[in-house]
Amino acid sequence: MADDYPSLLRSEQMSLVQLFVPTEVAHDTVAELGELGNMQFKDLNPNVNPFQRSFVGEIRRIDEMARRVRFFSAQLAAEKDVVPIRPLYDSAPLITVGPRAAQTIDELDVTLTEHESRLVKMNESYQTLSTRTRELIEAKHVLRETAVFFDRAQGQQTDIRTSFDESSAPLLQHDDRENQFSSVGNVQFDLEFVTGTLDRARIPTFERVLWRVLRGNLYMNHTDIVEPFVDPATGSETRKNVFIIFAHGDALLAKIRKVAESMGATLYPIDANADKRAEALREVSVRLEDIETVLYNTGSNRRSEIVKIGESLRSWQDVVKKEKLIYETLNLFNYDVRRKTLIAEGWVPTRDITTIQVALRSATEESGTSVPPILHELRTSKTPPTYHRTNKFTEGFQTIMDSYGIAAYQEINPGLFAVVTFPFLFAIMFGDIGHGFIILFAALYMILAERKLAKQDLGEIVGQFFFGRYIILLMGAFSIYTGLMYNDIFSKSLHLWHSGWNFPGAEGVGSKIVGTIGSHRYPFGLDPGWHGADNNLVFVNSYKMKMSIVLGVIHMTFALCLQVPNHIKFKRPVDIYANFIPQIIFLMSIFGYLVITILYKWSVDWSQTDVKPPSLLVMLISMFLSPGTVEEPLYRGQGPIQVVLLLLAAVCEMKKIHDQGYVGLNHEGPRDSSDEALEGEEEGNGRAIAEAADEEHEEHDFGEVVIHQIIHTIEFCLGCISHTASYLRLWALSLAHAQLSEVLWSMTIEGFLNPAGVIGWIALIIISALWFVLTIFILCIMEGLSAFLHALRLHWVEANSKHFEGGGHAFTPLSFANAEFKE
Amino acid sequence: MASILPVFLVLVIVAALMTAAFLFVPKGPNHTVIRTGLMIALAACYLMWMVTYMAQLHPLVSPVITIKAED
Repeated sequence: MADDYPSLLRSEQMSLVQLFVPTEVAHDTVAELGELGNMQFKDLNPNVNPFQRSFVGEIRRIDEMARRVRFFSAQLAAEKDVVPIRPLYDSAPLITVGPRAAQTIDELDVTLTEHESRLVKMNESYQTLSTRTRELIEAKHVLRETAVFFDRAQGQQTDIRTSFDESSAPLLQHDDRENQFSSVGNVQFDLEFVTGTLDRARIPTFERVLWRVLRGNLYMNHTDIVEPFVDPATGSETRKNVFIIFAHGDALLAKIRKVAESMGATLYPIDANADKRAEALREVSVRLEDIETVLYNTGSNRRSEIVKIGESLRSWQDVVKKEKLIYETLNLFNYDVRRKTLIAEGWVPTRDITTIQVALRSATEESGTSVPPILHELRTSKTPPTYHRTNKFTEGFQTIMDSYGIAAYQEINPGLFAVVTFPFLFAIMFGDIGHGFIILFAALYMILAERKLAKQDLGEIVGQFFFGRYIILLMGAFSIYTGLMYNDIFSKSLHLWHSGWNFPGAEGVGSKIVGTIGSHRYPFGLDPGWHGADNNLVFVNSYKMKMSIVLGVIHMTFALCLQVPNHIKFKRPVDIYANFIPQIIFLMSIFGYLVITILYKWSVDWSQTDVKPPSLLVMLISMFLSPGTVEEPLYRGQGPIQVVLLLLAAVCEMKKIHDQGYVGLNHEGPRDSSDEALEGEEEGNGRAIAEAADEEHEEHDFGEVVIHQIIHTIEFCLGCISHTASYLRLWALSLAHAQLSEVLWSMTIEGFLNPAGVIGWIALIIISALWFVLTIFILCIMEGLSAFLHALRLHWVEANSKHFEGGGHAFTPLSFANAEFKE
Repeated sequence: MASILPVFLVLVIVAALMTAAFLFVPKGPNHTVIRTGLMIALAACYLMWMVTYMAQLHPLVSPVITIKAED
């Protein structure tokens, strides 16, 4: 039996288990189960506020640690020189289970706190030092530039002095100030000044404001500081100017200072005395050197601290994440005060119960206690979660089918069949040997480099392609096969066998040759005689459209038949008679008949008969519009046969409505209604409703069921027609693909095929490269995605609507491997 | 060889292959997937080949080629 191994046909059998876990061993047990990834825990305290749960304290502590780890991670990411982070598989693991676990976590907490406080302090001091450095550099510039101003003014000094001497006697204040001045060449100013720096952009505004405020009683000069100031935090540059403003009087100076501060200038006190200025300059330079040394040392200390953090960052993140999950899970348990145990409930696959028991025992041994947790199976009527055990190959297929809806518990899993039908339907729309090879090789590369690529962070888009590498592999393989069928390799044909068509001799340019068929046929695929023919599309379209209908009807029939195992498994034999049989007869009597006529028409040699080959489309339409009368018969006795089929279809629909409603009320099985229905549809319907009148006390339910069943029936009938037509997209996309491929060839390489000379060859090479790039981007990637989408739609809508019930919830076990890695 | 015989011949061969796949796939964790995959692949490939072959058995149109200036 398939019980030995899990199968993808249905969900695994799940059991509800109860665990009795002694408190000492609780943490280690959950850690072990999390590593295993096999158990989905139920929340046993749904009404408890998250702040009132038992392990809230531990979670808060872990959250603090997580915050610190996030802070480190942000600091590392913000570093301009990339800090190497030791990856998880390379780091030494931190033991968080067993008797020393609590100690390890405490140590980790302390380490994280220490690192954080050190890092924060270093950041702060670095900031302060940077600001000081900037101020000192600005002061240096101010000193230098004002030296220039004063030197220039010195030249004009003598004029000013003479003017002063001529005027009234010097005031007493001037004498005082004169005594303070030393040596030759010194400047004596009556005007006082304000110096500082300001953003270059604001200087003109500053000048205008000052002019207006002081009514022109000022003299202002300013120069650029050549090097811009780089803000270490943001990296943005600011350009500043040094300005010096001369004015007379305290009130004016106060106004100037206020205006300067409001504009965001920094003011620096400068001495008028040149020697004092020189001394100040020296002092500033010395201080600047000191600060820069300190800054450099702080920077390198911080760097080494961060590098040390980078060594262990991943293992800290791992530990914090796991501990958080463990405590959150522990919060779901029920605490039994009397026996000092925690009770847990959860779903496990029945097959894995022994593995879990082994894990529980090993957890007890590790923690050193003697009381093991007890596992106990419960009986329940609740619906278990749906679990399809996949491996790396089937995972992709199951995921794309699960995107439509999770299968109900123990329902037939459409993902199993999609492993082959999905790539095959894709290939019908993509058929080209060359393009098939391209995507096959792309998939092969991804698969062979699997281990390496899985460790990298590939990004969203490439990651999606990598996730579906096995799907792409099969898509490529089947595309090569359908490419052989369509005889299309990069829009050319292969002549692997002798063509069945013979073309008589050519007459001249512009003449038309009609091929004649010989005695043998091209055995595998489309005859290459059609390649390049004027009416190529006439034949190929007819062939592909009919093929789409044939394959579509077969796919839908297959999907419909998948209902039967579901009905059997869920013990609903009524549904087989009331749903499945009418549906399949309806589908077969109309569209199965169409497929048979297609195949029959192909098998007849119409050149040997004297009847004109009838159009199948007209035949199908007139079968409905005027049943019984056939204008161009395809075969003998067509008229009555078609009437019979039509009646079968109608009967089945009536039977569906009648039976389901009837039987759904636990009557004694379905009455034989087929005789009555043949007399007329209205009567059959009327009979069912008349009977409803008798059952007054159940009238409400009966009405609902009947309405539900009518809707279901109409949906199925219309669905059959629309879905069959929908399969024509197989033709449409393959036509588009073939035409695109042909156009690409004829517009690029074809014109350059007879290269003349070196230039011709170079042109050919360049245009070939262009052709190849466009092939990959347009034909493989764009068309590939388009065909992928349509093949998926066919599975989701056309196939799944025939049997899929859905409504299951997915199995989400506690699994450390699958938990998101939040940075 | 313009007969319908190859269709039935290949059908027999493919049916035999499908039966072989059903019976002889070794039991293991991927038993169901391999078996189902092989059988559906064989059936699908046969169907497509059959349709292509039958469509060209007694064609109702013949290819028409226009002689071009070059060659």
